[in-house]
Amino acid sequence: MIYRLHHATTYDYAEPVVLGTHFMHLLPRARPGQIIREAALSISPQPESRRDETDHFGNTATTISLTAPHRQFLVLASATIEVEQPAPPPPAQTPRWEAIAAWGIKDPDVAEFCLPSALAKPNGDIADYTAVSFPPGRTILAGLLELNQRIWTDMTYAPGVTNNTTTAAHIIITRAGVCQDYAHFMLACLRSLGLPGRYVSGYLRTSPPPGQARRRGADQSHAWVSAWLGPQTGWVDFDPTNNLLVHDEHVTLAWGRNFLDVSPLRGIILGGGRHALRVNVDLDPVLT
Amino acid sequence: MSIVASSDEMIDRSGRIRTSWVPVMEAVRDIGHDELSRRSAALNRQMRLAAPFGAAPARHYDPLPAPLTPLDFSRLEAGLIQRAQLLSAVLEDLYGPQTLLRDGGFPPALIYANPHFLRGLHTRAALRLPRLGLYAADLIRGADGNFQVLRDHTGVIPGLGHALSLRRMASSTVPELFRTGGLRSLRPAREMLVDHLQRSAQGGIIAVLSAGASSPAPTQDTMDDALLARALGVLLIEPGDLATRNGGLHMKTLSGLLPVASLIRGLSGIDLDPLEQGGRPGAGIPGAFGAIRSGALSMLNAPGSALLEASEITEYIEPLFQRLQGAPPLLAKAAGDPVTSASKAPFVNGVNLVSTPILFRLYAWHDGASWQVLPGGLGFGLEQNSAAQGITITGMKDLWVLDADEPHIISGATHADVPRRTQFLAAAHLPSRVADNLFWLGRSVERLESASRLLMLALPRLESGTSLPRDLAERGLIAKCLAQAGLLSADLAGGALSGRQLRGALARRKPITAQLKEVARLVNAASERLSPSMLATVRFALNQATESLPNEETALPSMLNFAATFAGIAAENMSRDGGWLFLEMGRRLERAETLAENLSILLNAPPERLEPGMALGIELADSVLSYELRHAGILAPGPVLAMLLADFGNPRSLAYQFIVLRNCLQHLGADDDADSLKQLQQEAVNLSGETTGLAQPLAAIAARLRLLSDHVHRRFFTLLPEAHQLEDELELEAAQ
Repeated sequence: MIYRLHHATTYDYAEPVVLGTHFMHLLPRARPGQIIREAALSISPQPESRRDETDHFGNTATTISLTAPHRQFLVLASATIEVEQPAPPPPAQTPRWEAIAAWGIKDPDVAEFCLPSALAKPNGDIADYTAVSFPPGRTILAGLLELNQRIWTDMTYAPGVTNNTTTAAHIIITRAGVCQDYAHFMLACLRSLGLPGRYVSGYLRTSPPPGQARRRGADQSHAWVSAWLGPQTGWVDFDPTNNLLVHDEHVTLAWGRNFLDVSPLRGIILGGGRHALRVNVDLDPVLT
Repeated sequence: MSIVASSDEMIDRSGRIRTSWVPVMEAVRDIGHDELSRRSAALNRQMRLAAPFGAAPARHYDPLPAPLTPLDFSRLEAGLIQRAQLLSAVLEDLYGPQTLLRDGGFPPALIYANPHFLRGLHTRAALRLPRLGLYAADLIRGADGNFQVLRDHTGVIPGLGHALSLRRMASSTVPELFRTGGLRSLRPAREMLVDHLQRSAQGGIIAVLSAGASSPAPTQDTMDDALLARALGVLLIEPGDLATRNGGLHMKTLSGLLPVASLIRGLSGIDLDPLEQGGRPGAGIPGAFGAIRSGALSMLNAPGSALLEASEITEYIEPLFQRLQGAPPLLAKAAGDPVTSASKAPFVNGVNLVSTPILFRLYAWHDGASWQVLPGGLGFGLEQNSAAQGITITGMKDLWVLDADEPHIISGATHADVPRRTQFLAAAHLPSRVADNLFWLGRSVERLESASRLLMLALPRLESGTSLPRDLAERGLIAKCLAQAGLLSADLAGGALSGRQLRGALARRKPITAQLKEVARLVNAASERLSPSMLATVRFALNQATESLPNEETALPSMLNFAATFAGIAAENMSRDGGWLFLEMGRRLERAETLAENLSILLNAPPERLEPGMALGIELADSVLSYELRHAGILAPGPVLAMLLADFGNPRSLAYQFIVLRNCLQHLGADDDADSLKQLQQEAVNLSGETTGLAQPLAAIAARLRLLSDHVHRRFFTLLPEAHQLEDELELEAAQ
């Protein structure tokens, strides 16, 4: 499936900002199953300097400096992306989860995703919750599919009750939040068993495929989980907010250990006073 | 179980004093133990008084050095260079291609779980300078006489400032030690280091980055940062002094933002860059990581280099010597309890010399081509701590490296290549924060002085005054001046004020105590711009003034003494560029403002009733004697006003303050402010010819001086508004 992406972020400031430095993860990365046909950022006011770098995780990070006083800051990311995640093997043919944990912690490309991170730290309750889906000897994919579904069932989708710093330990108690919280919760579950999991930020197609219900998290930045199924299959993505196995409705922007690694837009500004933020996302299939 | 006796640095196996220690012990014998104890106290007092930021050194400084023989040092030097090379290579790999994670050098999870592994600095290409630029090793000498490594310092390098300064301090307190010579000087090494820093900075600013005065509790480390900056002749700056612009780091100075090229890092790399790592902008430097990655900024050492200090990581380092360098480590890793296995050296403790286990800390730096080891360092006395495996450091001493018989050839620094010293210590390059502190220091000392002067004048008059109209008028004027100065509440000033009431107000409000505290705070905050000897004198005077409290009335003469000492030191010991200009401006502005305010109260009377106010004005301005000499004591408005308002030769007249202020402002290129002062000066001179309607114009002058002060503040100190993080509306930004 080929998509056209538009992601506009606008800050309106009450007072002029005299100096701004921004750090962004807004250019989608390539990955197996995802080809970036073209991608560009258009920024207003024109930055005095801009650097696009590949970060530790292989994401594209953009740093800009704004030195002209401004009352509005606008970033428009647009891209054409082709996605088609291959279907994973049948669950019964995937390795046992214990083997995945044992391989993952030794693999230099995987090990850090087995470790707890700030927003996705397991605790006793989370471990108990996870153990239900991962009895000894179960294959990894069987466990993951069940966990994905349980989280979707057990949690209430509730925008506005959490924020960027909400932890998995909080979610296991409240069982409510948005996709970011679903993802952190699932990651903490995986890490309670030492299973590798990545936080993926990206987008979900705006309008659902014909005849299907509208997805949660469309029209917004979205987030989900990528889990490692061993060296043979590699990474497979799960969307616990929608109880989906990611196939061709998701476009990956960046990944990391948790939200803090891939925050779409951060900034330190001097001046500005109060500000208002608007975000607008469109991800539509390109008719071919 | 066999107990291996630890060796002794000073005494050899046959019980004789080692040759290297003979000069030290001869000096001890000549000085005598009682005197040595006093010298030790003097050294510690001197260090305390010279400590920037008011950081009370936690450690005891030992006046006796620990000498290392040329052979000792050559072994240490080779071992340190080998370790530094290896650690540098490991660091470059872990933050670059990570082959050591792929081929089993380190378990990947070990590196990734360490909070000092900073992902933001994992780059494909190498940074502009090696990540490890400075290195220190803590060593002990075991029972077999060989040195063993206790730990490596690869992140923030502790104690380098002390290592470069302690000898200078000791040489003035125990000069007898330095009679024989024969020890290697630190100066060539220091100059090579400075030269290297300047070369690699390519004309940009070099500074020591410290938590500084703004840190909640000044520590040994901030003191070391300040000593290091002084020893290297570079700036000492804090995160708040810096701003990111165009991908580079800039220092906020009086002349705007100036690019910073190199920072010697005294702060942890964790949370250093709030832009990429999150956190409060004021605590770190937003954009620092980006500037480092782009090559616009270098840090010694690069953030994240403390990774190699983690104990769980160090065990994987030893095997890498063979693997990466093809040779075993020259210095073995210390095993077992360092306190029991370390050799012992004498430390001064009261009138005794106590043989104490000693830890050696040596320093090395990379000069762009190779590693250089400082021929010196620090020796620490060790003591067992009650905590398991804990070590307490009891004292710090200088390490001497004795000169080999043959002349030592210093390689690296070429003498033809005179280090290019950038003139960043001049006013234009003064960090705004420092100028701000000095300005307020000047103001606060002057405020303390004028308050003390006013109270000294007020107390006896309020006590003994009669009910004659002149005395009543005088007391009324004094009360108003006291209220204006904030020494008395306005209600009390309205009625008939008595000495008892003023004493009561002083006891309740403690205004002098508060003002002295403010002075002390600002002395600490501005201490990096006061020379060590100046700082020591000012602190001594400050202590004396503090000791004269809490009775504010009897303490007033001590306050004037302090103010006089301070003024004298500033006049005689500070160069007239940079900081002095701001200290002076603060002082003159405060004096002019207070004088104009007081005179507007004192001269608010018809000509026939001006006399009491004039007398007080002359006295407050400390001009009684000059007036009597000139005018035989007959008070007349003309001469009085001329002396107080228009006399350019009277350092307490308004005109004098204006001239000095104008000079300062012109030096700083603030010509418009200087012009407005010229106007004020003319008005003051014109006023001196009047006898009526003086109060209102004088009050107007005071008001305009307050405006000028605000303007100076905006112009020089608040260049940029405060930074804040653009993540306020958290939930809106959250992925949904």
